[in-house]
Amino acid sequence: MENETYTVSQINAYLNKMLKRDPNLRIVYVKGEISNYSVSPTGHSYFTLKDEKSQLSAVMFKGRKHNLKFEPENGMKVIVKGKIEVYEVGGKYQLQASRITEDGIGNLHIAFEQLKKKLDKEGLFDDAHKKEIPKYPKRIGVVTARTGAAIRDIITTIKRRYPYCEVLVFSTLVQGDMAAPQIVRQIKNAQQYDIDTLIVGRGGGSIEDLWPFNEEIVAREIYSCKIPVISAVGHEIDVTISDYVADKRAATPTAAAEIAVPDIKDVKYKLNQLNLRINKNINDKLKENRLKIDNISKKQVLKSPESIYEIKQMHLDNVIGKLNYASKNIISQNRNRLIKTESKSILKNPDEVIRAKREIFLRNTDKLKILNPLLTLKRGYSIAKVDDKVVSSAKDVKSGDQLDIEFDDGTVNTKVI
Amino acid sequence: MENLSFEESLEKLEEIVNKLENGDVPLDDAIDEFTKAMQLVKVCNTKLNNAEEAIAKIVQDNGELVDFNVNE
Repeated sequence: MENETYTVSQINAYLNKMLKRDPNLRIVYVKGEISNYSVSPTGHSYFTLKDEKSQLSAVMFKGRKHNLKFEPENGMKVIVKGKIEVYEVGGKYQLQASRITEDGIGNLHIAFEQLKKKLDKEGLFDDAHKKEIPKYPKRIGVVTARTGAAIRDIITTIKRRYPYCEVLVFSTLVQGDMAAPQIVRQIKNAQQYDIDTLIVGRGGGSIEDLWPFNEEIVAREIYSCKIPVISAVGHEIDVTISDYVADKRAATPTAAAEIAVPDIKDVKYKLNQLNLRINKNINDKLKENRLKIDNISKKQVLKSPESIYEIKQMHLDNVIGKLNYASKNIISQNRNRLIKTESKSILKNPDEVIRAKREIFLRNTDKLKILNPLLTLKRGYSIAKVDDKVVSSAKDVKSGDQLDIEFDDGTVNTKVI
Repeated sequence: MENLSFEESLEKLEEIVNKLENGDVPLDDAIDEFTKAMQLVKVCNTKLNNAEEAIAKIVQDNGELVDFNVNE
């Protein structure tokens, strides 16, 4: 391996690979003076960056040049942001520039990073401090320049989406040294008014243009503002300290307005949906209950409620029938008994009854006379008794028995021989 | 209920709708809530329909509010 021979291309490719691998060289800020500035027919800019001791080739491709805020010139002191790479064809390394800013402004980057770190450490960017942006604001405050695209975009957007929202403009300078204190004053001022949300911002511009929104006093004022603040500084790619500290960051002023107010179409839709939902809900409930009622009312007893008392009435009829029958019976029985009693002849003709009874009595007395044993004795008959028992057969006595013979006029004691 | 802000009315309405949709609310209460909700819908609609388009104003240095025309 030691003695291996490489081609030029291999060496250059190897170096390119090595340089690309170094993270320190991927993004560098290089400070220097522009010399040998030229623009190729294809539109790329080639120049040399130099300081007192050394020089560095640099290129800015056409596609990157939209970032340029000024036309570079020889002798200009600049800070170039870019990456170091090897131009293999030429066998030289160079700085491929993505952004060129005038020196002095380069310090701003450092200042930005320092302030960002400081405020972050203090907790000014913490989510816990972020206030909720009201959903249906009545009044929006805007701290920005009274002229320019930003305020126009904000007002047009709000009017289009939610025209009932009032916009209060707190005009301020938005660039230059005087801007930051004015912005601070207007944020303070806005808090005197009954405002739901405050938009603080400006349209796009260079980093110097946007700088007031990187000032510490502005950041601290936004942080302590009692009204929820939406920051809207520059374009999508521009991020300022204000954006970090605000309750909500919007990429552009138009986006800020979209965050600040709802779209009336959405609100109406939502209201309509809620209305439909609750009506459906209550109708379902009523239907469900109606069904329950229907099911219950299908039951026989409710379908023909008379059936409840019909049965009872039958019982009642039955009882009444029995009662009637019983009472009639009792009455007729008693009547019959009365009639029978009345019909008895003794009541109709008592003398006749008495005479008849006497006749019967006399007849019976005669019969008794005939049957009287004493009369028989008078006619010469006698009664034989042993031990007071009448002897009606000869076989009932034996020899030696004491026999009492009763006559009409007395008794004779005898002995059987 | 008229005193509620639009936001409060809408939130209250949303709350009732969710309550009725999620909870097992007895019919009597549901009807009460429904009646309330209908009032809120009415309040919201009235507020939306009667809301006047607001005009942007600029706050002058003396605190005075002056109509602000975007096209200026």
